Amino acid sequence: MRLIIIRIANNSHSQIKINTKEDMRKISILALIFSVFASSFAIANEVNIFNARHYKADADLYGKFTKATGIKVNLINGKSGALEKRIISEGANSSADLYITADAGRCGAMDAKGHLQRGLSSEAIRAAVPKSFRTNKWVGIAKRARIIYYSPERVTGAELSGMSYEGLADPKWKGRLVIRKSSNIYNKSLVASLIENNGKKATAEWAKGVVANMARDSKGNDRAQIMAVAAGEADIAVANTYYLALMLSGKKGAEQQEAAKKVKAFFPNQNGRGTHMNVSCAALVKGAPNKDNAIKLVEFLLTPESQEHFTNNTFEFPMIEGVSPSPLVVNNLGLDFQQDMKTKLASYGKNQAAALEVMTAAGWK
Amino acid sequence: MFKSLNIWFISSLLVSLCVLIPIATVFYSFFEDTSNYFSILKETFLLEYIFNSFTLLICVLILTFIFGTSAAYLVSFYKFPLSNFFKWALILSFAVPPYIYAYSLTAFFENYGTLYSILKNLFGPGNYNQHIPKFDGLFGAVLSLSFSLFAYVYILARASFLYQSQNLIDLGRSLGFSKLKSFYSLILPAARPAIVAGLSLVAMETLAEFGAVDFFSINTLTTGIYNSWIAFDDLAFSNRISFFLLIFIFALFILENLSRKKAKYHSNSKGGFKQKEKIQLSGLKAFNAFFICFILFFLSFLFPLSQMLYWTIKFPENFFDLQVVTLTLNTIYLVFLSSSALIIFSLISNYGNRVSKNKVLNILSTLSISGYAIPGVILAVAFITFIAWFDENIIQSLGFLSIKKMFIGSVLGLVLVYFVRFYSLAFNGIKSGYEKINISVDESSYLLGYSKQKTFTNIHVPYLRNSLLFVVILISLEIIRELPITLILRPFNFETFATTAYISASEDLLEAAAVPSLFLILIATVFIMLTSKYILREK
Repeated sequence: MRLIIIRIANNSHSQIKINTKEDMRKISILALIFSVFASSFAIANEVNIFNARHYKADADLYGKFTKATGIKVNLINGKSGALEKRIISEGANSSADLYITADAGRCGAMDAKGHLQRGLSSEAIRAAVPKSFRTNKWVGIAKRARIIYYSPERVTGAELSGMSYEGLADPKWKGRLVIRKSSNIYNKSLVASLIENNGKKATAEWAKGVVANMARDSKGNDRAQIMAVAAGEADIAVANTYYLALMLSGKKGAEQQEAAKKVKAFFPNQNGRGTHMNVSCAALVKGAPNKDNAIKLVEFLLTPESQEHFTNNTFEFPMIEGVSPSPLVVNNLGLDFQQDMKTKLASYGKNQAAALEVMTAAGWK
Repeated sequence: MFKSLNIWFISSLLVSLCVLIPIATVFYSFFEDTSNYFSILKETFLLEYIFNSFTLLICVLILTFIFGTSAAYLVSFYKFPLSNFFKWALILSFAVPPYIYAYSLTAFFENYGTLYSILKNLFGPGNYNQHIPKFDGLFGAVLSLSFSLFAYVYILARASFLYQSQNLIDLGRSLGFSKLKSFYSLILPAARPAIVAGLSLVAMETLAEFGAVDFFSINTLTTGIYNSWIAFDDLAFSNRISFFLLIFIFALFILENLSRKKAKYHSNSKGGFKQKEKIQLSGLKAFNAFFICFILFFLSFLFPLSQMLYWTIKFPENFFDLQVVTLTLNTIYLVFLSSSALIIFSLISNYGNRVSKNKVLNILSTLSISGYAIPGVILAVAFITFIAWFDENIIQSLGFLSIKKMFIGSVLGLVLVYFVRFYSLAFNGIKSGYEKINISVDESSYLLGYSKQKTFTNIHVPYLRNSLLFVVILISLEIIRELPITLILRPFNFETFATTAYISASEDLLEAAAVPSLFLILIATVFIMLTSKYILREK
């Protein structure tokens, strides 16, 4: 549009008549008023969050926090990569207090780059969160597992018996597997955990096997992988736990509900270290101007009330004891699975670059 | 020399500097070492980026050429049902940015998507997913870009066809050519400069496109700039990719300017001009012409509009979640600040060009309007690079406080970068207004004893009022659709319709992207209707 005007303007002399004068005047007055408001810097009791979790439910939760404590929550939403850049470019005097994102690897990577600070710890936090799901710079606030979904029509129980992530590279799955792109952070963390447990060399071989088994080039989000199994494009898919519950909930429409009923969930590595777990985490940013408020917010997110809010709206697993996951999760995915408590979540950040490297080298799109 | 050191010289110089800084930053970084991290992979990535950008470019050019010229040919040479409606309705495709087109394609064709629902409702339950074609990846991006950009070719080809005289058609007839042959051997070659100009605009937009290719996760030069900055932490490498992209763009810029000159020459040839008569079509031919135009209109505008509308109705909770008032106010705020800055500077520069015949000033003006050719991603990343460097090496070493926060993640920084990108819009808009004020008006004003300033405020500004309004509308239209600059540089708690849609879409919440997309399309449609008269004028 812009370019065409530029071109026409360069070539021509013409008369334009637009009768929006009156409107424009109103608009400019409005804008003026607004700019006065925007420029009034109030020093407030606040906490600044760089937020990469875009769940509507989270915004409601922050609203409750403000009501309970009087602390204003300032949000900047964005994709995690862009937010991290922003924190890095602002350096020591970053305006961010908390960085909240849906992957432990990201918190770990920010820590490795030296942009987090110690002190995100209190009695309440230590009591609520198991040790392997926190450091003193970042804390897990809700859990999710990355699991295998399969079509009960095309995959037999015998085929799945004893299935592990390692088994995804087994040639018996040739042309039957779908999984997201290698650039996806959930995949990076999963592969990082494999590197932690099996070493880089073995994981590089594994990645080649996985690529050879793919039913199609990687594309789409986690839900698209589940729907590909439902639609018969593939027999097994790798995706996070809460997606199936979300589809079953009907919040995504009747069609996706129908699709979700055609797949079943399988928790891998039950005979070994357990299923790969990840967290949504909150990290304390270096130079945070409102550190105390940040800690208060994290404590608030770990109260049973907030945890219930997570489980019922985003269908994640609760971080704390004594809160049950959503009935949709319990009834359709089951609860009695063994979680991988052995692999430290901090290793996801550490091995992230290596994970991307082995996947890219294997030709994982 | 001192004579030329006046306000308009300084202002033109300032604007040119703003345009030069990102270009200089990119060139400077090209000679810097990039980190060794991933160095081998990066080489293969670069080839992939170039290959994908090139493939995308060629396919989009072919499709926009076919869509644009055939539609332009039909509406300028023939009369058929609704031909007058299609004449302007086809430019409504500008209201749908490629990224929103991409969301619609996915929503419609994905497994268990809208098409599946339609088939299921029509024919009952069945396994339709396997038979529904999937328009995603590179192919999806090609379609998204082609349908939202073909209007460039359409508008310019149509303008050129309008100037072609009846003589040309008579010539074809007397040579015994069929209509098709006349079109290929006479009409099309005569319109070539205009079509080439249209295609080079399409090419610039394609190479700069970020939202749609990012949505389909295709690695092109543009997404490469963004990703290597974000995923590899390598600003230098991202500037290096920018360098390659700028070379592409520079070639197009020259091509476009050359063909623009030629197009001017052709359209001005008045010798023996004979107004041509539109041929009335009837029967099957009329239907075919109608059908082609309708399909284009449907696919480019109605399809994405109705998909977004459908989703808004299907998931109404998203409608209530969207803070329409805030988003609108944010957009108005940006438009207000950007338009003010743009209009003030382009008024001064235009006035300067008018009262002084300084050659240096002219060169500076030309330079300062070339910012439109630089992709938004490059501008934003180069801006951050420059501010970080300037802050570290100049401001802080002089002992002042850091200025980073003032520029990065602030409305000020956002408006500055918009300024560079949209300056040509304001400058040319006002220039075309100025050209209508005869220079003798100025002279009479001086004779009446008005000073230069008074001539400007009392004579020029009232005359230019319409042009100024027009410029504000265009800037609004651009800012509401703009994605990469806003995404990278926006401040806390600050969203526009475009960023809201983008973020929802990139976080597996495509349904939630429908509402902001719908608003964006509707507002843009109103703006386009306001300007359509100007774009499609016949004389």
